[in-house]
Amino acid sequence: MAISNAIYNAVFKRNSVYVTTIFTGAFAFGIGFDTGVTKFWDSWNRGKQWKDIRHKYVEES
Amino acid sequence: MATLHAVKKYATLPPTVRTLASGVPSAPTVNLAARAVAGHGHGHGHGASARSDAPARFAGGVKLTSAGLVSKSYLTPSSTGVFQQRLLHTTVARKDAPNVPDFSDYQASSDSTNRALSYFMIGSMGVLSASVAKSTVTEFLMTMSASADVLALAKVEVELGSIPEGKNVIIKWRGKPVFIRHRTPDEIEEARQVDWKSLRDPESDEARVKKPEWLVMLGVCTHLGCVPIGEAGDYGGWFCPCHGSHYDISGRARKGPAPLNLEVPAHDFNDAEGKLVIG
Repeated sequence: MAISNAIYNAVFKRNSVYVTTIFTGAFAFGIGFDTGVTKFWDSWNRGKQWKDIRHKYVEES
Repeated sequence: MATLHAVKKYATLPPTVRTLASGVPSAPTVNLAARAVAGHGHGHGHGASARSDAPARFAGGVKLTSAGLVSKSYLTPSSTGVFQQRLLHTTVARKDAPNVPDFSDYQASSDSTNRALSYFMIGSMGVLSASVAKSTVTEFLMTMSASADVLALAKVEVELGSIPEGKNVIIKWRGKPVFIRHRTPDEIEEARQVDWKSLRDPESDEARVKKPEWLVMLGVCTHLGCVPIGEAGDYGGWFCPCHGSHYDISGRARKGPAPLNLEVPAHDFNDAEGKLVIG
């Protein structure tokens, strides 16, 4: 009860705060989602991508 | 689990009619003097004789036939002739509780938790829709940007060593001419001594060049897009023959109708190979 009341008073009570929180959350969610999916993709395709096998073919000058 | 049984209770109500002075209800169509069938009010055959409640022959019974014992019962036996009048009897259903289901299993235990949860769900929906809208717009705009192969073609490399001091070179970059001038120290000095703050499009020479001896500009007159002529004009720079705009040795508009200085494209110097990369 106390927690939900605190959350309500902090976030939901004023629409300006609520909408700002939603947009901030959407921004953070977008970044997090992209990062997560990219990490998953890289781990799923480990050893198949150019950045994984680049050292075999390109010598640093 | 609290299930609710609607308990029915029956009550025999007195006939809602006028009561006589003797206490007997006045029911003119009811024959209160009528007597029941002989006996003590019900006939089920006490005594040693044959049961009087055995089904009558017309209602069926057991018969001995050639096939053995056969029991038959007739569905619509004729009336027995015994007629009992029904007395006035009224029943109403009484319920112990009003007819409302028990919603306590479905009600939130706390109003504040419920409220916070509702707003949270709405907000999550908003977050997801905002992300979807943002990525939709972003992806759509990404389809308009140039792809990597186009960007790779949009660069031009120029060998700087082949341009002697005090000479102009005109190359084509993205369909437009680009002037490259290897300026002499005198020209640099001249370009820097001008009081550039009083010019039509005030811009210092330092801001226009990355290396003082190399001046790189788009060769398109800012007035109406003609190509100016090099090493001409009143200021020793460029001169546009179409409408007579004069540019100085830093490519700044000094005279004539041109409103702006000649544009400087994004360029970089590759010192290791002595090359200029435009784009």
